[in-house]
Amino acid sequence: MYLSTIIEAVSAWAAQEPKIYALAIGLIGAAIISAVINIGAMAVVWLERKFLGDIQARFGPNRVGSRWGLLQLGADAIKLFTKEDSIPRGADKPVYVWAPIIASITTMLVAAAIPFGALRIDGKDYPLVVANMDISAFYVEAALSIMTIAVFMAGFSSNNKYSMLGAFRGIARMIAYEVPMGVCVIAVALMAHSLNLVEIVESQTLWYAFAQPLGFIVFTIALVTDLGRIPFDQSEAEEEIIAGYTTEYGGIRWGLLYFQEYINMLLGSILLVLLFLGGWKGPSIPLITVLSPMVWFLMKVLIVLIFLIWVRGSLVRFRIDQVTDLGWKWMLPLSLVNLAWAAFVGLYFA
Amino acid sequence: MTGEPLAVDYYIPIILFLVMGAIVPIVALAAVKIISPLRPNRRKASVYEGGLKPVRDPKIRFNVQYYLFAIVFVIFDVEVLFLYPWIYVYASEFMKRFVIFGFINMAVIEMVLFIAVLVVGLLYAIKKEALRWV
Repeated sequence: MYLSTIIEAVSAWAAQEPKIYALAIGLIGAAIISAVINIGAMAVVWLERKFLGDIQARFGPNRVGSRWGLLQLGADAIKLFTKEDSIPRGADKPVYVWAPIIASITTMLVAAAIPFGALRIDGKDYPLVVANMDISAFYVEAALSIMTIAVFMAGFSSNNKYSMLGAFRGIARMIAYEVPMGVCVIAVALMAHSLNLVEIVESQTLWYAFAQPLGFIVFTIALVTDLGRIPFDQSEAEEEIIAGYTTEYGGIRWGLLYFQEYINMLLGSILLVLLFLGGWKGPSIPLITVLSPMVWFLMKVLIVLIFLIWVRGSLVRFRIDQVTDLGWKWMLPLSLVNLAWAAFVGLYFA
Repeated sequence: MTGEPLAVDYYIPIILFLVMGAIVPIVALAAVKIISPLRPNRRKASVYEGGLKPVRDPKIRFNVQYYLFAIVFVIFDVEVLFLYPWIYVYASEFMKRFVIFGFINMAVIEMVLFIAVLVVGLLYAIKKEALRWV
């Protein structure tokens, strides 16, 4: 088939000129992926509003765009872009301005190493990933935690006690769940004998969600915490501390911070699918063989997203002391138990 | 891939992504500067806080107890850092030379001891109520 000829020619050229190839794929990838994650996050925001509306037996957005409120997000974007850009008096201006930018850089850094599905050409899966590093699982986990710094910058610079409290809570939550999350990633890598996300996906003949159920549960909880979504959204709990670290943000600056959270949610769901749910692996579908890994992958991501929204719709918020207790006294020991299990299985059965 | 690119080459796209991540919000902020009205006044720029007039300095202090969280976190994060290279070592050909009784891998034994020491530390910290949110 001609597609495989093109891929062979490109990889031959890439082997010859690795630097120029890296530069080219970086430029093209940055443009495409920043568009994809932004549009994807818009879709996630719309999905969440619509699905939450269904859960709470009310209509979600249903006016703009004639059907299902499809253009609601466009209307919101126009509103945010035309609002006055006001910075509160006494704010630490450089930090205040840079917090949303740091958040945006974080999501782009994560997106650089995450495979967005794969294409199946002549029975071989070609992952759609820009930086396919040997340590991409470690890198993604490290880059995800930079988000906390953006949260702290936003809370610290706002000249507001409630924002500051939100920032403290964000940090406390991050440090309580960072370790269990890292240990779960290590447990997956132990079974896969690799830290490369593509190799981790390819090694999953049995999904790691079944091979290490405990790790799957701990990682999911740690991920929800890392994303700061409802049972764990103490850093912006609107009933207790106004709006947490986003209180003093308005207009487009708030829009940027809010949007990065949804991009993070999308990337986190993709990470969960890659690590534990078999990524794009699945049987070929006739007629669209090339796209069949993509179909499986997007289906799983959609299920995880809906699960996250469902959790938000049905659970109530924990107190902050309960959250840190859960992290240190339950999640961390459980993740170590799971690590022992993964080391045992990885050594004698893999 | 036929060739074996250098590890450094993988980081070129990442730098480009970093720049792109900064460009998108900066362009958005510039667009807002052009199309949105800007009529600042004293009332508008005042801090909202809780909807009331703010009292006292907003740069509140935090309890010294939180340092204990930070210290325990640093210890366990370093533990996680040690675990990452261990992934590549523990099942390697090299470690097969250090297998005793035919099935006990010394790399695993060493890591079990290392984590056991830290878990004892964690239990001590919990017992001493160092990880209690105040």
